[in-house]
Amino acid sequence: MPLWRTKSFWLALSVSWLLLILLGVFPLRLAVPPGPPPGRSRGWPHWLDAAFLQSFSQSETLPEDATQLPRAPQGSSCTWGACFDTSKCKGNVLKIFAHSPAGTTTEAHRRILDSLEGSRYYALSPAEACLHLFLPSQDQTCGPLPPHWNGGRNHLVLSLYPAPCTRLGQAMVAEATPSLDIFRPGFDIALPYLPEAHPLQGGAPGQLQQHSPRPGATLLAVAEEKGRWRTTDTHASTCPWGKHCEQDPGPHQTHPGETLPNATFCLIPGHRSAASCFLQALQAGCIPVLLSPRWELPFSEVIDWTKAVIIADERLPLQVLAALRDMLPSKILSLRQQTQFLWTTYFSSVEKVIHTTLEIVQDRIWGTSAHSSLMWNSPPGALLALPSFSTSLKDFPFYHLQQGSSPESSFSALIWVGVSGEPLLKLIQVVAGSRYCAQILILWSSEKPPPDRWPETTVPLTVIEGRRKASDRFFPYSDISTNAILSLDAHSSLSTSEVDFAFVVWQSFPERMVGFLTRNHFWDEASGAWSCSAEVANEFSMVLTTAAFYHRYYHTLFTYSLPKALRTMADDTPTCVDILMNFLVATVTKLPPIKVPYGRQLREAVPLAAEGPGPTPELQPLAQDCFSRVAAGFGHMPLVASRVRLDPVLFKDPVSVQRKKYRSLEKP
Amino acid sequence: MCASVKYNIRGPALIPRMKTKHRFYYVTLFSIVLLGLIATGVFQFWPHSIESSGDGGVEKRSIREVPVVRLPAASPIPERGDLSCRMHTCFDVYRCGFNPKNKIKVYIYPLKKYVDDAGVPVSSTISREYNELLAAISDSDYYTDDISRACLFVPSIDVLNQSPLRIKETAQALAQLSRWDRGTNHLLFNMLPGGPPDYNTALDVPRDRALLAGGGFSTWTYRQGYDVSIPVFSPLSAEVALPEKAPGPRRYFLLSSQMAIHPEYREDLEALQAKHRESVLVLDKCTNLSEGVLSVRKRCHQHQVFDYPQVLQEATFCVVLRGARLGQAVLSDVLQAGCVPVVIADSYILPFSEVLDWKRASVVVPEEKMSDMYSILQNIPQRQIEEMQRQARWFWEAYFQSIKAIALATLQIINDRIYPYAAISYEEWNDPPAVKWTSVSNPLFLPLIPPQSQGFTAIVLTYDRVESLFRVITEVSKVPSLSKLLVVWNNQNKNPPEESLWPKIRVPLKVVRTAENKLSNRFFPYDEIETEAVLAIDDDIIMLTSDELQFGYEVWREFPDRLVGYPGRLHLWDHEMNKWKYESEWTNEVSMVLTGAAFYHKYFNYLYTYKMPGDIKNWVDAHMNCEDIAMNFLVANVTGKAVIKVTPRKKFKCPECTAIDGLSLDQTHMVERSECINKFASVFGTMPLKVVEHRADPVLYKDDFPEKLKSFPNIGSL
Repeated sequence: MPLWRTKSFWLALSVSWLLLILLGVFPLRLAVPPGPPPGRSRGWPHWLDAAFLQSFSQSETLPEDATQLPRAPQGSSCTWGACFDTSKCKGNVLKIFAHSPAGTTTEAHRRILDSLEGSRYYALSPAEACLHLFLPSQDQTCGPLPPHWNGGRNHLVLSLYPAPCTRLGQAMVAEATPSLDIFRPGFDIALPYLPEAHPLQGGAPGQLQQHSPRPGATLLAVAEEKGRWRTTDTHASTCPWGKHCEQDPGPHQTHPGETLPNATFCLIPGHRSAASCFLQALQAGCIPVLLSPRWELPFSEVIDWTKAVIIADERLPLQVLAALRDMLPSKILSLRQQTQFLWTTYFSSVEKVIHTTLEIVQDRIWGTSAHSSLMWNSPPGALLALPSFSTSLKDFPFYHLQQGSSPESSFSALIWVGVSGEPLLKLIQVVAGSRYCAQILILWSSEKPPPDRWPETTVPLTVIEGRRKASDRFFPYSDISTNAILSLDAHSSLSTSEVDFAFVVWQSFPERMVGFLTRNHFWDEASGAWSCSAEVANEFSMVLTTAAFYHRYYHTLFTYSLPKALRTMADDTPTCVDILMNFLVATVTKLPPIKVPYGRQLREAVPLAAEGPGPTPELQPLAQDCFSRVAAGFGHMPLVASRVRLDPVLFKDPVSVQRKKYRSLEKP
Repeated sequence: MCASVKYNIRGPALIPRMKTKHRFYYVTLFSIVLLGLIATGVFQFWPHSIESSGDGGVEKRSIREVPVVRLPAASPIPERGDLSCRMHTCFDVYRCGFNPKNKIKVYIYPLKKYVDDAGVPVSSTISREYNELLAAISDSDYYTDDISRACLFVPSIDVLNQSPLRIKETAQALAQLSRWDRGTNHLLFNMLPGGPPDYNTALDVPRDRALLAGGGFSTWTYRQGYDVSIPVFSPLSAEVALPEKAPGPRRYFLLSSQMAIHPEYREDLEALQAKHRESVLVLDKCTNLSEGVLSVRKRCHQHQVFDYPQVLQEATFCVVLRGARLGQAVLSDVLQAGCVPVVIADSYILPFSEVLDWKRASVVVPEEKMSDMYSILQNIPQRQIEEMQRQARWFWEAYFQSIKAIALATLQIINDRIYPYAAISYEEWNDPPAVKWTSVSNPLFLPLIPPQSQGFTAIVLTYDRVESLFRVITEVSKVPSLSKLLVVWNNQNKNPPEESLWPKIRVPLKVVRTAENKLSNRFFPYDEIETEAVLAIDDDIIMLTSDELQFGYEVWREFPDRLVGYPGRLHLWDHEMNKWKYESEWTNEVSMVLTGAAFYHKYFNYLYTYKMPGDIKNWVDAHMNCEDIAMNFLVANVTGKAVIKVTPRKKFKCPECTAIDGLSLDQTHMVERSECINKFASVFGTMPLKVVEHRADPVLYKDDFPEKLKSFPNIGSL
């Protein structure tokens, strides 16, 4: 019996265990009747016979005889390849010819023509031109077509303000905020909607004062009728726009007129009439939030607008608001900065808008040697980055960070020998003594013939015969083999450690000029013009190019991008080149140059610049005049003042001289 | 578990009382129950256990078994595609409203077989590629099986290739889909559009408002911002593995490998070959191949036979010419071979052109200019060609390689349109991984000198040195540009002094009490900081003069993206120990400034608190050290720029201390700081710190000039 008992006990135990396991582990399986196969909800099935499926293109026999040559497209179906003849567009410069409707030259047209004349794009005769610019009249009569019309081929119909007749023949159309329905991507060009009073040149800089918004700043402004703005908060309960909500829009203020509230985001409705608010927001650094825009964004072919604006669907107000509220500070920071960059680079003046348009056409012609997307969308922008300089971004001074590269570790000394042709022995020895010096170039601009023998140096020495023009100094000679240039005058007196230290500093700031002697600029109330001074002061905004390091790229920019008028002025008034170069670099960098210590500053400043092409310390009236003319030519004042000098880390510290690397810098 | 314990206790007590007959009953009952259970279990689980061992529970059926749907001849046909469709007109975005994480949800209709009235099938059920495509979507994060929550619908009707389709019936099949609704939010994939004789560039099947992901769009059929241009998949890429070849000059400069080329174009190409001989190779179909050799894998030039696609790797540039269709599968092969495609197809919308920058990977030549092609290509510098070769291969790897890559890129593009604020950037789409690794995108990239009027906020971190703290506050308050003073009170056991005891200063003074004594509290982006410039200062830095601080602020304004500080330090590579070493001697170089006295942009507080890589933040708080070194690493890494040391000042604490400062001389302290540098360098995966040899001084510092005329005369002592 006990055996039996034990047996039955064990049996009961094992049965109960089994029951437990079965019921406990698979309770659902038992509870749910075997219904649809459980794999059903797990996505696309894995077919048993998937391996036997045929490829989509296997049954395709290549249609060999069916290839058709394309038909010549007409009007609305024009594309770049079909409707533009690039055979006339040779060389590095886009040659354009501007037609304007006879007789009725309006103010706007005159301004456009003025800005083109003397720019790097102009051609004298229509026969030379690669691109014909046609400015249609703004009245209702479409007016006669210009001569050389040729069906509109190679014509660009440019209309800054809405005009009735733009779509003509095979011509490209550049118009303000074109509707998406008629815009031909890759052929037409979308322009911004400019206010009537938009400045021709220069233009106001962006209004952003801070990189990041202040804590507690208003988040949202909404564009309303007639250029008004209304600020609002982004609580989900309120409804900032449109008819999608019935609640009260919540507390708000109305800002009359053109004042734009200081908000982080600016909501802009999608209809074309609201497009005028777009530039306003861009300038103010208020991130535009475009609600389903029905118009093409300006220059969308080249500008990556996703970096500066938010394009949202107007039908999802709450989602958009939530997204704006939760946007990461890093994203807001980059969007804000990009609005400012785009505004100052492409939109702040009529001239910039026109030049950008032409640059886009030029990029299409150039094809592979066009601006890269990085050039268009990062400072200093495509108008100041010439792809003809190099196709490799590493060669430019501005893209080292993005490219993960660093500037080269050697420089070329470019010594300008002026009228008298003085001996250079000492200067050559000093420069050649620098361990960073790769070559010495003598730019012989004197009437005297250059000497036959030159001092023996460890680095190669080349003599270039100049054309005896002041602008020669900044010509991109092919003999220059390094990106860094040390520009010198025969009079310059430097020490090797000064050269070494300045070059090491330049490597940290390859886009700026690094110089020894400085000048200031100031607004002269008396004469109502910009003026400059050579007085010793606590700040500076220019460095003299009689002794300065800068990037080779600025030679290319100086020679090929400055308006002709400014370049000829520099040749007429040699004291001007220095100022011009400083203006140019400041326009690019928007930053001051860098000053490094110069031992002989006070003692030798006078003889140093007495004859050279730089302005003399007691600036002659000529130089003053030149300064105000350059400032007028640029249309704005790009120079920025600095109060900083970069010295060696132990400069003039009361520590043992033995510790210091640049000892001779401190000798009196 | 509990039940068994119960039996265990009760069992022996119960059973002895039972009669033999009952026992027998029990045993039988148990056996029956047991058998029943086993049987049920086996029947329940048998088929599944086999299936799940195979593929994780996914249904396994044959395609021949899919349900058949009969389409009546009179069933409705959708409208032809609407050319004016845009996302905001034809796309119902409300259906995407409840998708979390900014990700659209995609539903795939179950596979069906469609037959017409007569029972004749409308098309072959599904192709290999379309099956792969749907499987890829189904495996992705986009997939949902809940039709009511879906934002995008993908029919399982295969229209990849238009040729075998019966246009009208296919359209009818689309129209009867359960959520068709004029095609709204439906996505069709098509790679080979059109049919003879004139080959339309978009799918001819009437599809109303449906989105089309098409290979071979032209500018006339492509609805910008609505359709998606996709590549024509090349089945060869699945069959042939071409290893990546290093960029550089190759045997042929220009190669044409296509077989079906219009005779006029072939003449042009052959003329080029005749002119440039060895550097141009124009291949054609082989006519004299022996039996059993796949003709798709061979190309011939006269009697020379080449392996395809391997021959593509021998060329720098490869011609991709339009055929009957604009989109050509050869583009994919060419990219795979790292050959730069020369696209000659006017009006062709290149694949994924909405997001991919084809200028970086291809050359587009107008058909009219075909004869000038050679000179156009020769004008491209070698460095640029190599860049393009690299880019071409990267495009293939990322977006052409497989049907899955194509499907996911398409969905990503649509997703980015619906959630533009979470969209992928140009760089993420276009930069090859190698570039992404080395490039730095400075968060403060705009050259902007903030106005002086903004001023700065001084943040003093303190624990209990009240006397010293008050001295610092008094000193700092003399700086003209100070706009606010923030004291971070890091002592939880002691209250800050009474308000009346604090020094009276001209700017607002706020005390922030912290919850924990952590060093990272000094870098928290407090809302009280209203200025962009922040001066971090320790409560024992009493020797900085007002001129020095004001000048430091001026320097920061000119370099707002850098750390601008007073105590400079250096990191060095210790060749003996093979690791980094911390250096506080007075050297000629600087790579760090200590945040015991430094100006920086407030944004770096945000980065330090929320974006510090790895466990650095916790590590710093645990060791109560090196928060300043961590900040230096962070800023240098994100901006790629060096610090700026201002003024010659080298001693900061008590004037009577002769040493640099008490703590720094401590040997263990130095070892610990070196340890920090090594730790951070390993977390960052690189050494971001930059060494420079300069410091910032006022323009006229130590110049022979009357001191009283200098802006910052009180600078110069160590």
